[in-house]
Amino acid sequence: MAIDKLILTILALPLIGALINGTMGKSLPKIVVGSIATGVMFVAFALAVLVFNSNHEATFIHLFKVIHLDDLELNARLQVDGLSTLMLLIVTGVGSLIHLFSMGYMKEDEGYYKFFTYLNLFIFAMLILILGSNYFMLFFGWEGVGICSYLLIGFHYSDKEKGMLNGIAARKAFIMNRIGDLGLLIALFLMLMQFGTLEYNEVGNAILAGDLPSGWMLFGITLCLFIGATGKSAQIPLFTWLPDAMAGPTPVSALIHAATMVTAGIFLVVRSNFLFEHAPQTQEIILYIGLATSLMAAFMAMRQNDIKKVLAYSTVSQLGFIFVSLGMGGYVAAMFHVTTHAFFKALLFLGSGSVIHAMHHEQDIRKMGGLKKYIPITHITFLIGTCAIAGLPFLSGFFSKDEILAHALHHNVVIYVIMAISALLTAIYMFRLYFVVFQGEFRGDDHTKHHLHESPLNMTLPLIILAVLSLIGGLLNVPSLFGGNHWLTHYLGHSTLGLNKVAEVHLGDSQTMMLMGVASVLALGALFFAFVKFVKNNSVPESDEQLTGWAKLSANKLYIDELYNALFVKPIEWISAALHRFVEMLFLNRLIDGFTMVIDLSGQLVRKWQTGIVSSYLFWMVTGIVGLMVYYIVKF
Amino acid sequence: MDLYLIPLAFSLLAALAPANLVRYVGLTGALASLVSVGVHGAYYMSGWSVVLFEPGQVTTFGLTFKMGYDGISLLMVALVNVVTTLILLSNLNRETASLKGFNALVMLMQFGLIGVFTAMDGIMFYVFWELTLIPIFLIAYWYGAPERKPALLKFFIYTFVGSLAMLLSLIALGNYADNYSYESLVTVELSAKSAFWIMAGFFLAFAIKIPLVPFHTWQPDTYTLSPMAGTMLLSALMLKMALYGMIRWMVPLAPEAMQDFTPIIVILGIIGVVYAALIAIKQSDIKRLFAFASISHVGLIAAGIMLFDKEVLGASLIQIINHSLVAVGLFLAAGILEDRLATRELNQMGGVAKLAPRFGFWFAVIGFASVSVPFSSGFIGEFLLLKGLYGYCWIIGLIAGTTLVFGAVYTFRAYQLSMFGAPSLESFKDLQWNEVLSFLIISVLIVLIGVYPQAILDFVGPSLDKLIQSTQADITILP
Repeated sequence: MAIDKLILTILALPLIGALINGTMGKSLPKIVVGSIATGVMFVAFALAVLVFNSNHEATFIHLFKVIHLDDLELNARLQVDGLSTLMLLIVTGVGSLIHLFSMGYMKEDEGYYKFFTYLNLFIFAMLILILGSNYFMLFFGWEGVGICSYLLIGFHYSDKEKGMLNGIAARKAFIMNRIGDLGLLIALFLMLMQFGTLEYNEVGNAILAGDLPSGWMLFGITLCLFIGATGKSAQIPLFTWLPDAMAGPTPVSALIHAATMVTAGIFLVVRSNFLFEHAPQTQEIILYIGLATSLMAAFMAMRQNDIKKVLAYSTVSQLGFIFVSLGMGGYVAAMFHVTTHAFFKALLFLGSGSVIHAMHHEQDIRKMGGLKKYIPITHITFLIGTCAIAGLPFLSGFFSKDEILAHALHHNVVIYVIMAISALLTAIYMFRLYFVVFQGEFRGDDHTKHHLHESPLNMTLPLIILAVLSLIGGLLNVPSLFGGNHWLTHYLGHSTLGLNKVAEVHLGDSQTMMLMGVASVLALGALFFAFVKFVKNNSVPESDEQLTGWAKLSANKLYIDELYNALFVKPIEWISAALHRFVEMLFLNRLIDGFTMVIDLSGQLVRKWQTGIVSSYLFWMVTGIVGLMVYYIVKF
Repeated sequence: MDLYLIPLAFSLLAALAPANLVRYVGLTGALASLVSVGVHGAYYMSGWSVVLFEPGQVTTFGLTFKMGYDGISLLMVALVNVVTTLILLSNLNRETASLKGFNALVMLMQFGLIGVFTAMDGIMFYVFWELTLIPIFLIAYWYGAPERKPALLKFFIYTFVGSLAMLLSLIALGNYADNYSYESLVTVELSAKSAFWIMAGFFLAFAIKIPLVPFHTWQPDTYTLSPMAGTMLLSALMLKMALYGMIRWMVPLAPEAMQDFTPIIVILGIIGVVYAALIAIKQSDIKRLFAFASISHVGLIAAGIMLFDKEVLGASLIQIINHSLVAVGLFLAAGILEDRLATRELNQMGGVAKLAPRFGFWFAVIGFASVSVPFSSGFIGEFLLLKGLYGYCWIIGLIAGTTLVFGAVYTFRAYQLSMFGAPSLESFKDLQWNEVLSFLIISVLIVLIGVYPQAILDFVGPSLDKLIQSTQADITILP
């Protein structure tokens, strides 16, 4: 099949799945609903592999003109190149596995068909986001995934205890994303004003040909793009929605809030690399925002006791890590880590889903412990995921993280040190999580203990596949030290605009060796530390009231939610109430009432004259004539 | 002529029909009008100016009776007929639909609106403009909520004052022209001062009808206390007369005053966008909340129109259509909630989505359309309008852009408070077929326009070109 037919089929598949399940899913048996939704994903993935095999140059597929007015042209157009193909593989590949997992995980849910409809719709929007050839299409997908995210976070909206809370979490996510979207929208306007087009390759070619806008303009465009990215990819200051988004079912957290949607901001920056390369101030901002986010989120993760919250902060932290790389111009390193992160974070989330499934929807790790006996497959795969994210030697996270650290070392040694600390914290809280959940003795009640069970094959199979990928994912971009040839660097650089022009940092073998040595020591040290604390000493995380000092700050997420509440939410509510009460009701309405009263009064006044009594009219007439005569006499 | 005669005839028919048939008389009339405008649309070649009625006689004071349409007018007439059909369809299962007066008045309203959108003579425009006030007032007065009377009086006086100002402007303008036909009025060359006052008269009428802040105080009460169909007519159609009036009459007739008025209207519009959105955030009455939301949305359109280039005018028309469709949807949802829960207070609602999943779904779709997500017509309209405003002055564009955020805040709040949570009531009657069909038609139209807005832009493009040209050169181009 020709490349354009392949791509269009891939795009159509999830939409068809969503349409079938959305319209008829209610009356179909669950197994059929799930099979359709999952089936289209696997077919899409197979076709994506074909695309990957057959395509080596950037290809464009023109669909139609969305808006065409005089000099404004916004197109529905697709672009297939290295970057979009990589994202395509991640989205359809990891997406298929998560769909498969969901068939087991959501089995008891009455909204089964709705869940798969939304999930397929999400994939469709995500594909538009990554396959579009311009910022306009990207924006379509960008908000599209936001809608699906909203629907899926608030999926259990009618739950007795948590229904309203789920809804509020969903709304928070949507609104925070909207703030970022406003930034993105303004970036679009600026680009239209500057370049007259939103096509990636037209903007990029203009820049690469040396047609540079003023520094301020570039700064404005890139900063606004980045504001959009902070919303979607949960960076400071717009990150607080992501931990709350864990209210959604766990496969959703794995797919949307770990592996795919939240990497959209990174995709955006990589896609726009030609702009960012000429805006060093923005790069600095990205670098420091990423660094601060990475460290802060890792700190917050240290004392979370909800298994999904730990993973959520971990995601925020890892995304920050990737943004640091982007700030230093390490685009391929960023995409490398996006890829491996998609593997191991999806694995960890699905693993936590399997745990939660076994624990009858208990998410508090203090009530777990010793689970390795009961759910062995989940245990092994979760351990692999933990080792991968902690950066244990030769696992996928090890290589991808190392590449970012190499950039940091090349850039500035202080940044390298801070990132190493962040990586160390990551290893500690991840091993803490692993040990508290899987090692030691079971701490839950007997009822739960009795029911502990390993998940069925359709849930464990995705875990196994993702575990294998987490083990070997590092092979994508093996450094030359181990005989690798930086395959991903070449692949992305070959057909993605701008990426072949950017110089990737590759350290010498000895330096690489040193870096990897330090990273290994840190990861193993963290492993040892967590082992001693949580297995040897068998300590269980304290309850929140007992915490003091730093630990309390960490458990309470630095009180950022409270801060935002006091700074933004409350004042806006206050202004809203005040405007209504004083301006609207007291001032404007009174003003109008006063105005009508004046009319009324003057009407009454004039009415007095219209008495209908002829003598009275005569009187006034004569008075008038006399008055006029007096006037003229005086005047002349 | 069929455009006028069908609604008029069905209005009479509805007044005479037997009680058990009357609801279908209204709906048949609306459908027949829809077919007739479809035929007109099919034969219309873009860029034409079609004259429907011109006796060729001019009265002593210059009235020409001329009626006709171009692409813009025809689009608006189509909108009127689609929305009227939707209103009658969505009301079909309600008590009001079985009333003779109601059906007759809605059809009369449709007649008046078509007249407004096809008037090619200043006096005719004024007459039809005033004509629409009677049926809508009576619908609200006869079928509205118990405490409606003071609010309706305010509405009537308020809009009437505005209309009088417009009449003064028309008469003043007529003094300079041979007669009141659109061509004559448009060619008049005005001094800066007289242009200012003439535009001021139009502006007052339109600012009240749209309404722009601070001329809006009649609107929340009137919207809230009117019956569902009345609120739909007011928000989906009546205020569009004013936006259309700005495009067709106010600016082309006195373009000399544009530079004075553009900043005023843009700023008032943007103030309205933010002010009304902020107030909507804390409203607890669902209809009042949507009323303020409407002020917020139309403020953006009014501000955009004043920039008067092809992009923003095209966007304004798309947004006019979008707002009409969304308004019908939102007020239908509000009406359903009010009817079946016997309250408009959001705090007393909750859990409806669980009991009525079909309603939950369609309300959500309309909610998303209302916050202008991509794939909906609102996105295209808002995108181009904000782009225009951003180009006009970046800070204004930025402030207007906050509608993206605030819109999501109040819409989702309304949706969540009414639909989410555990159900507190025993049962909630889910949507009936006519309600589902209404929501479905609205959604399909919204998505179609949202994905392929070019169809509309192509349809009105040449007419817009002519309009803009005539404004810039201030000479007659219209054939």
